[in-house]
Amino acid sequence: MWIYEKKLQYPVKVYTTNPTLAQMIIEQFGGADGELSAGIRYLTQRWTMPTNQVKALLTDIGTEELAHWEIIGTIVWKLVKDAPIDQIKGTPFEAHYVNHGKSPYPHDASGVPWTAAFINSKGDPIADLHENMAAEQKARATYEWLINISDDPGVIDALRFLREREVVHFQRFGEALRIVQEEMDKKKYY
Amino acid sequence: MNGEYYGRDKTMLLARAYVPFQRIHQVYSPSEALEKGTLFPELYIPYDEKEKMLEEGKYYG
Amino acid sequence: MDREQKMLLKEIMEYSFALVETALYLDTHPFDQKALSLHNDYSRKYHELVSIYQAKYGPLTNDRMSGCPWAYINGPWPWEIEFDMH
Repeated sequence: MWIYEKKLQYPVKVYTTNPTLAQMIIEQFGGADGELSAGIRYLTQRWTMPTNQVKALLTDIGTEELAHWEIIGTIVWKLVKDAPIDQIKGTPFEAHYVNHGKSPYPHDASGVPWTAAFINSKGDPIADLHENMAAEQKARATYEWLINISDDPGVIDALRFLREREVVHFQRFGEALRIVQEEMDKKKYY
Repeated sequence: MNGEYYGRDKTMLLARAYVPFQRIHQVYSPSEALEKGTLFPELYIPYDEKEKMLEEGKYYG
Repeated sequence: MDREQKMLLKEIMEYSFALVETALYLDTHPFDQKALSLHNDYSRKYHELVSIYQAKYGPLTNDRMSGCPWAYINGPWPWEIEFDMH
């Protein structure tokens, strides 16, 4: 089960009001390679993983991704909370605003709503761990594109943190793959 | 059981991906770790190339 | 949130993060003595800091004992805190 601690994983500071940037950052809130996808993907795959180490890792990384989802939602909210209507009109965020007001909603930067079709869980540990390694690289790349288009130093700082987490997660899933491969090799030779 | 894996010298098989196991050495202080996004210097691979890429206009993006 | 509370919360966030890192490492390296030792040191320090914080500023989770009124609901909530950049 899950316990919530009243703190963000990272101290988010947003300096500016920028609805356009908010609409781009929301890609990691509800997009295919975003934090919600990551969290749901890893937590979904737990049931069919063969070793305790990997069950633990999927649980722990999946949980961390939900904490990242919270960080992204916070960045989006901080970027728009003080925006007057005139600063929202004519920006990509206007379409979001008419449906959801200033509340973060899980869709991507283009407005495509989050769907389970964004994640895979094959029930095959080798396939699932490769899916996860790919997911971490895609998330890492997305953060790099977001850093490129961001001009708020606080937002960039938080994006750099989240990007580095993807690098570490990739390493861990790589280790999990080694563990699973060795486990499955063992089972072939009683 | 996950015995002694650091010193493994196994032959790599075809049709497989291999990521080397990290082995813990030094760690950052908790304060520096939070700022960088990892406790481990060997996993700290920052994105420094933004300015360079935008300047050169090369590669992807 | 005053400066002193923010500083203590930030320190808690630092140790909490260090613990996430050691936990993930230990998930794939369960026999690593060095990592275990580090993790246990962080855990001790983390829980000390959390005790101090909760005694002074109120609960971080909803499973703590409470006086009246129920303090868990009190702001600021995490997304409302204005952190400074380091």
